[in-house]
Amino acid sequence: MPHRIFQCGIFVSVDVSLFSVAPHQSISMNNKKLFISLILVVFAAIAQAQTIRVAAAANLQSVIKVLQADFTKRTGVKVDAVTGSSGNLVAQINNGAPFDVFLSADMDFPQKLKRSGQSDKDPVVYAMGSLVICSKENINLKNWQKLIVTDAVTKVAIANPKIAPYGKAAEESLQKAGLLEQVRAKAVYGESISQVNTYITTGVVTVGFTTQSLVRDPANATKLYWQAISPKTYAPIEQGMVVLKHATDAGNTAAANRFYQYMLSSAAKSILKKYGYIVP
Amino acid sequence: MDWLPIFLSLKLAAVTTTLLLAIGLPLAYWLSKGGGIFKVTLEALITVPLVLPPSVLGFYLLLAFSPQHGLGGWLQRVFHLSFVFSFQGLVLASVIYSLPFMIGPIKSALQQLPANLAQASYTLGKTERQTFIHVLLPNIKASVFTAMIMTFAHTLGEFGVVLMIGGNIPGITKVASIAVYDSVEGMDYRTANHYSLLLFGITFIMVATMFIINRRNAKSPLE
Repeated sequence: MPHRIFQCGIFVSVDVSLFSVAPHQSISMNNKKLFISLILVVFAAIAQAQTIRVAAAANLQSVIKVLQADFTKRTGVKVDAVTGSSGNLVAQINNGAPFDVFLSADMDFPQKLKRSGQSDKDPVVYAMGSLVICSKENINLKNWQKLIVTDAVTKVAIANPKIAPYGKAAEESLQKAGLLEQVRAKAVYGESISQVNTYITTGVVTVGFTTQSLVRDPANATKLYWQAISPKTYAPIEQGMVVLKHATDAGNTAAANRFYQYMLSSAAKSILKKYGYIVP
Repeated sequence: MDWLPIFLSLKLAAVTTTLLLAIGLPLAYWLSKGGGIFKVTLEALITVPLVLPPSVLGFYLLLAFSPQHGLGGWLQRVFHLSFVFSFQGLVLASVIYSLPFMIGPIKSALQQLPANLAQASYTLGKTERQTFIHVLLPNIKASVFTAMIMTFAHTLGEFGVVLMIGGNIPGITKVASIAVYDSVEGMDYRTANHYSLLLFGITFIMVATMFIINRRNAKSPLE
């Protein structure tokens, strides 16, 4: 990593110049500068620990933190994760965002990245998502198909079906139940599954369609009532991942590949399972 | 291209500007007369949205008007009124958010008027209200116009709050700025470009008009 060593060089040379232009200043002032320069050196040392950047679909918001920590514990490689809707992340990557690995919520978006030359391999499924209907109110969602058309349900949150695979799955399921038109009249669209989660946990909507990982998240303090949507009513939410071209450019290939392998390992699978994902 | 988001944005801006004109004129007049700590606090409160991140406002509106919480639940039960995921919710947010743009120019114009203008009117037996409407207001026409344009343009440009409390509902809360974001996310750059060009055109013409009007009056439009 030659560029990081170069960074160090800049810090040192800045310090030397600080001392040299002010030789008449008091010792305490120089001590202060020494302290500052020490901090800079420490920062430079921290920056040298290898870090990879992962772009993760919004439905992974909670589980990615656990995966990150586990991976770092096993390999010493730090992971910076950025979550957002898959569509948004793909747009960012296509425009040069510095991510090494992309964990999508579907297979189409990583395919698109391959076509645009941001990745040279086909995506691999690392997990399959499961869709739930969820509410903050204590209501019985067993017969949600009946309930959702009554006045008891005023607003229904769905992730934007154009960009969020969970939104697409929710609409498919509603379509199959013949409820899509009726529900659309009360639908509000989250820009990603995490906004749907916000709408559910703040109670601004009566029910919402989201990922099972929301209700499995131990960090979520809000009591939620939920019911899994029958997987037969929507196409499987196959979540794919790819290593991105940026990893090669940044000299992170080895670390990025390790993360990729880790995501397919039994350790990662057991964590994903705990958060309600079906693993291949 | 779907024109609905553009119309919705224009409608939101028009409603907000009308409401704010009704609120802003008396409020700016009252504030222009100076006063104690209460007025200063209120004025600071009115001006805060100028620098406050829209997400802060969005977050509190979301909490305040959730049907699960006190106020939101009460409004829903008693009046069937909801300020989240609804057009009136966007109007409320815009009124709060654009308030400083309406108050600022009007208040500072009123303060710059010579005091003897109003005094002469009082001497001639006119009431405070008559003086305000027939003497002061005609003298600050340009500033009122500036305030209206700034409010209108600023409401068109609103994004953060709408993203948080709008819910992206076509025809109700999917305004033009959201439509741009939505098409970029969906990688439909063509549509995003159409909306963006149109928004740029509209706002540019508005701001340019304001500068032209104020040039004639030889005054900075931001005063």
